[in-house]
Amino acid sequence: MPTRLLNAFERWRSHRDSKSLPWYEHSYFVLDMETTGLDPKNHQVVSLGWVLVEQGSIQLDTAQHLLLDSAQIDDVSVGIHMITDRDVLEQGRRHASVLRYLRQIMKDKVLVVHYSPLELGFLKSLWQTQPMPALAFDWIDTMQIEVQRRARAQEVIAEGGFRLPACRERYGLPDYQGHDALTDAMATAELLLAQTAHYNHHDPSLQELIKLGGGRMRLSSTEK
Amino acid sequence: MAAIDIPEVLKFIDSTPPFSSLTQIQQKQLLTGVALTYARQGEKLTLQGEQATLHLIRRGACEIRSAQGGLVDKLSDGDCFGVSTVLEQNPDGLQVVVLEDSLIYRFQKQGFQSLLQEDEDFALFFAHTRSSRLRKLSRAHATDLATPALQLSTPLSQIMARTLISASTQDTVQQAAAVMTEARVSSILVLEQNKLAGIVTDRDLRSRVLAVGASAELPLHEIMTRHPATIDEHSLVMHAQTLMSEKNIHHLPVVSKEDIPVGMITAADLLRHQELSPLLLINQINRQLDVASLKKVCAQLNTLIVNLILTDMKTTDIGSVIAAISDSLTRRLLELGMAALGPAPLPFQFLVFGSQARKDQSLGSDQDNGMMLSRTPNEQEAQYFSELATFVCEGLAQCGIRTCPGDIMASNPKWRMTQEGWQQAFANWVEASSPSALLNASIFFDIRCVYGDATPVQEVIESMQARVAKSSLFLATLTRAATVSKPPLGFFRNFLLESSGEHKHQLDLKHQGLALINDLARIYGLGCQRYRISTKERLEQAAREKLMGLDIARNLMDAWDELNELRLQAQRQHWQNSGEPSAYLDPSELSSLERKHLKSTFAIIADGQSAALQRFARGYA
Repeated sequence: MPTRLLNAFERWRSHRDSKSLPWYEHSYFVLDMETTGLDPKNHQVVSLGWVLVEQGSIQLDTAQHLLLDSAQIDDVSVGIHMITDRDVLEQGRRHASVLRYLRQIMKDKVLVVHYSPLELGFLKSLWQTQPMPALAFDWIDTMQIEVQRRARAQEVIAEGGFRLPACRERYGLPDYQGHDALTDAMATAELLLAQTAHYNHHDPSLQELIKLGGGRMRLSSTEK
Repeated sequence: MAAIDIPEVLKFIDSTPPFSSLTQIQQKQLLTGVALTYARQGEKLTLQGEQATLHLIRRGACEIRSAQGGLVDKLSDGDCFGVSTVLEQNPDGLQVVVLEDSLIYRFQKQGFQSLLQEDEDFALFFAHTRSSRLRKLSRAHATDLATPALQLSTPLSQIMARTLISASTQDTVQQAAAVMTEARVSSILVLEQNKLAGIVTDRDLRSRVLAVGASAELPLHEIMTRHPATIDEHSLVMHAQTLMSEKNIHHLPVVSKEDIPVGMITAADLLRHQELSPLLLINQINRQLDVASLKKVCAQLNTLIVNLILTDMKTTDIGSVIAAISDSLTRRLLELGMAALGPAPLPFQFLVFGSQARKDQSLGSDQDNGMMLSRTPNEQEAQYFSELATFVCEGLAQCGIRTCPGDIMASNPKWRMTQEGWQQAFANWVEASSPSALLNASIFFDIRCVYGDATPVQEVIESMQARVAKSSLFLATLTRAATVSKPPLGFFRNFLLESSGEHKHQLDLKHQGLALINDLARIYGLGCQRYRISTKERLEQAAREKLMGLDIARNLMDAWDELNELRLQAQRQHWQNSGEPSAYLDPSELSSLERKHLKSTFAIIADGQSAALQRFARGYA
């Protein structure tokens, strides 16, 4: 018993210590979701786009763009689309495998999103759709980082000035035409790189980034 | 998922040479393992270890500095760096300094290397011998453009008049007529809020005003043709022709997509565009009996040159055509002069120098000429040649070949000499060897006889060559004088980057490019056993006589072709837009491929200059 406690303490300490390492020593999972609306309770995720940041640069080969076949199969759909029970079963399985894939990739990585209330909310509700093992992770919100930075610099930003394209423009990042989940995930990853490069003339630690705009979260499908 | 499947990545790669010409599979191969990095202003990239690979700037600006800190190049969106760390194991210690925050693609060395081996075109783009790549590209270029039925398929925008002669609907008939007379056009566009409301032609003034005794005070909207037929600015000559014959009209306003008039095309423009040929012009020149009618014929010369440029004729051929025409014109003027003044009292030669001698004239070239007399004339004979020369030079000027600002013309008594006189002049230039005197005289070393027995001229050239061969100091001085002007380094954004680090808005294609190659060719040409006159022949001869590496010679020839083509295109555009054939190029109008192309052209000239210094000026510094 004391050994297990000791080990747990050790894990906690190494996790805490690792957070004081420069940010680029960690891996980041930069995610954007396309949804049917803005309310995680009533709307659904249509697609997920993500890309990983490792050793301080965006690894383009890790980019993914997945369409979720999550639309609820109701009676009308069965009538019109001739969807059978078996199809529903397969859809369900596919849905579950996407989530397992997601969980696998997110493990040991820091989640990065632009505007966390929405993205975290949808992640939470995704986890409710399937019986899933729990997952805890640190997260960073590039929008919150931007809000904090501008507030500290006492800059006044006009309404809408914290949207992704507006934030990017302030760093001279290119204007991207598409707004699918993958392009926005790429755009968020680039913004993160720009923000860290402009952090107080030194490389911030993960801790500092989280303090500026982030937190820790636990996803689980048991709590209803 | 591979990086190439990301829409924004694909879009950028697809619009950036040389990546854009790779196949999809190759692009995928190159992009495998690519990372996108962000570099902060002022950061120094060392390009060591993992970073010793190809980089491509997505957005931002960097500069390359030598180990000693000298500026080598400035780069921005779509430019690459780090190539030398891949090509050679031992980089020259080049440093990359980030000028503005930059997003940079960092490719995997392996993928890039295997692509270099596998795709020759791609490798050539990056290869250190930037040369052969140029040749390849220009060859590809030539086949792309060789269109047979070109006159009808010429875009309208290239031959239309861009100066809009217009009036408003409330202007009176008389006002409009005055404007038309002033501008010497046969029609006027009637505008309402910048949009085309109607058109009034000469014929309308006749039939709708004069013939019916209407008042000259009538507003234009009462007599104009409303909603005239128009043609889109992107149409071809063919379309304009069809439309005109269908509607039986002679004036066709050219409008933009938004229906705003941008030009005018007339039946006469179309006719001129099609019926002009060099042969016809030369025939016409030979048939004219006085300067006034020669002048009229030669008024078509610039239009003809423009047409030749539009037809994508090879630049050397355009040069020969213009030379043939100016030679004919010179000879015809001599004939007319001798018809008026009586036959020449003694045999003589009419000499041309500079661009006419080299046969690389373009729009707006000026005249450089002289005379060689078979013996010293007496006073009366001298008077005769003075009058004849003045007649010819003034005639040329009237026909559009401008007088020489340096007064190197046969009308200047200084440049009417006997054979001994010319020999002595060359002897003085060769032996004096003061750099500035030499540079001013260098034009005389391009010499050709257009009238009279060519043998004595050939003798002058031979004795000049013999003298040059004996005086190695001469070539050394000439080389040093000629290499003082350096080609630009390349481009940075929309500026031209001079070797001094200065930014310029414009590139002078003649003085910053062509003239430098002409100078180099002249130096090598004079070093050769056999005298050649045109720049390309001189370079070829120098390679044949092993004064110059075949590679450098070919590169310089390609560079010369490319610059000449650009000059002709630039002159054509300027001439059509403003009537001034200036050879300046605005870097902002160049595509990124053209910039890269030009940059390697500059590098070739710089290489040629150092080779010449090495060959002719070593030990004389």
